[in-house]
Amino acid sequence: MAVTDPRAGDVAPYADGTVRFLAACAVAWALGGMAAGVWVAAELVWPGLDFGQPWLSYGRLRNLHTNGVIFGFGVSALMGTAFYSVQRTCHITLFAPKTAWFCAIAWQLAVLAGGVSLLAGWNAGKEYAELEWPFDIAITVVWVCFGLVFFGTIARRRIRPIYVSNWFYGGLIIVIAMLHIVNSLAVPVTIGKSYSVFAGAQDAIVQWWYGHNAVGFLLTGGFLGMLYYFLPKHADRPIWSYRLSIVAFWAFTYSYIWAGPHHLHYNAIPAWVQSLGMVMSLVLLAPSWATMINGVMTVAGAWEKLKTDPALKFIVLALAFYGLATFEGPMMAIKSVNMVSHFTDWTVGHVHSGALGWNAMITFGTFYFLVPRLVGASLHSVRLANAHFWLALAGTMLYVLAMWGAGVSQGVLWLALDDIGELRFGFRDIMASMAPYYALRLLAGAVFLVGAGLMAWNLWRTVRGRPTVEARPP
Amino acid sequence: MGSGFRTPLGLLLRPLTACARLAEDAPSPSAALFRYLVWLALLPPALAFVGAANFGWRLGAAEPLQLELGQLLLVSLAYFVALLTGFVGAAGAARWMAPTYAAASDFGTHLGMVAVVAAPLAAGSVAHLFPHVFVNLLVLIPALIWSMYLLYAGLPVALGIAPERGMLMASSLIGFLLVACVTLLGVTVALWAAGVGPLLGV
Repeated sequence: MAVTDPRAGDVAPYADGTVRFLAACAVAWALGGMAAGVWVAAELVWPGLDFGQPWLSYGRLRNLHTNGVIFGFGVSALMGTAFYSVQRTCHITLFAPKTAWFCAIAWQLAVLAGGVSLLAGWNAGKEYAELEWPFDIAITVVWVCFGLVFFGTIARRRIRPIYVSNWFYGGLIIVIAMLHIVNSLAVPVTIGKSYSVFAGAQDAIVQWWYGHNAVGFLLTGGFLGMLYYFLPKHADRPIWSYRLSIVAFWAFTYSYIWAGPHHLHYNAIPAWVQSLGMVMSLVLLAPSWATMINGVMTVAGAWEKLKTDPALKFIVLALAFYGLATFEGPMMAIKSVNMVSHFTDWTVGHVHSGALGWNAMITFGTFYFLVPRLVGASLHSVRLANAHFWLALAGTMLYVLAMWGAGVSQGVLWLALDDIGELRFGFRDIMASMAPYYALRLLAGAVFLVGAGLMAWNLWRTVRGRPTVEARPP
Repeated sequence: MGSGFRTPLGLLLRPLTACARLAEDAPSPSAALFRYLVWLALLPPALAFVGAANFGWRLGAAEPLQLELGQLLLVSLAYFVALLTGFVGAAGAARWMAPTYAAASDFGTHLGMVAVVAAPLAAGSVAHLFPHVFVNLLVLIPALIWSMYLLYAGLPVALGIAPERGMLMASSLIGFLLVACVTLLGVTVALWAAGVGPLLGV
């Protein structure tokens, strides 16, 4: 890439303190959010685990789990890696570094206070957008600041081309802002209660336009930004096909935004909207797998790096689960498959093959690479990282298999008819028979959490007592 | 061929020796297929047939599901065909990936490798004799973990590549197998929705 360097001599060091803080917060959220997940999984096996406390009930704790892992762990990791990579791909320090610090700290406070409000029973009633209006406003302010820092840095870049990871991170910032603001439009009635400005089927369509694209542009697009920067760094070679990565970005951005209605198959929305959602979900397979192939081929030529870089394994496996999740999603969007799979634990399994196998694994791999470099040290223990890898793989596989078994059983048993056309089994009996699968899922989650605990310890020992390295643009 | 790769039992008891033998002396595709894979694919349906005929499947929701003998035979046959197709398909996928990872591209070796990996699962299918879903999960999940270990540990030995490269190829194969599994689920469910199989209110 050609270095144009319009500001020769402007070589302020990279603002990596924010990155370190965000990485630490992400690890803390991973532990807290996943522990909440393990707890709710245990409640599905032993319902008495809420001890009669409303704040410990499944309905509240489950939201704390999803918000903790998506917005606490996921967004902190994305914000941190975006700040790290945008500086290095633009050869300049962060624009408005104090605003970056504000973003980093205010985000943690918003998610933390939001989590407490969920436990207190405040809930806007929209999945993945449960936080009430004061938090929605706070999130909007932080997000606009995030965009200001990110795009300000790109505007001042000293390299002319904008590297592909920045397209994905930029897409994340713009689309999430759009989704969050539109879906959160509401009329407040008290400090802790508001009502959406949308009603009925319209509300459902807006909600799943938000919900599905939050998965698309945050959990997929944002983490693809992470992949496109850190995979070539790990592998020490360029992306297999840079052109394919750009084509995949635009195809992904164009097709994802239409796919939301597949969450509303056979509901009270127009049939053509459902069919459109299904077709665009199927189209989405092409850009998703283009990225997977690009990643697999990049890493295939760099196998020798695995000898010295234990973290690369996580990225390899993340690509495998990314391939699974992005195939399974379009398949489950087919109406005749969705007829059986909808509302079952198959959906929960699908989400976790993406969340554990893709999002968490790619972040673990990135942190094992990034954190030692931030303090100029080598990783405290490669053996612990390897142990973490096997625990993460086992946990994810067990989780997915348990939910496949539970989900398909539920789908077929719920719909089974007897000889005179009556439902053959009672809902209560079917759900009571799920205990073995739920016990297995609990085990899977616990195994995954133990792995995350090993990582937290390993990274803590790596950074403990070491200052952040002062790196400068070349 | 040496002791580790003569019988399906050899695959089970000395899998890594079997992998080393595979690398030294690649079996012909037909030898790998008829000496090992066919038997490994036959075992689970046969055990499932005996178990289901005697006890019926317990899914947990109601009384055991008893099928007529003829129907049971048909389901068992379909199970056998699915397993055999899956084994050959997995070997085909592995051979397709082989040039990317500079691995041996002999089809017999890939079939043999699949046999090594499948052996613990086939042995674990002894749980089919008692057709209760949870009992089967309890037995088959440790078997699956052992199979995955064999895939990661055995693949580089059998295909003659560095362990690091083997790790990449094994992970790609896991990705392929997961996609194949979920495809099977999707096709099954779509067939149910189309009216084939159990009577559903759709």
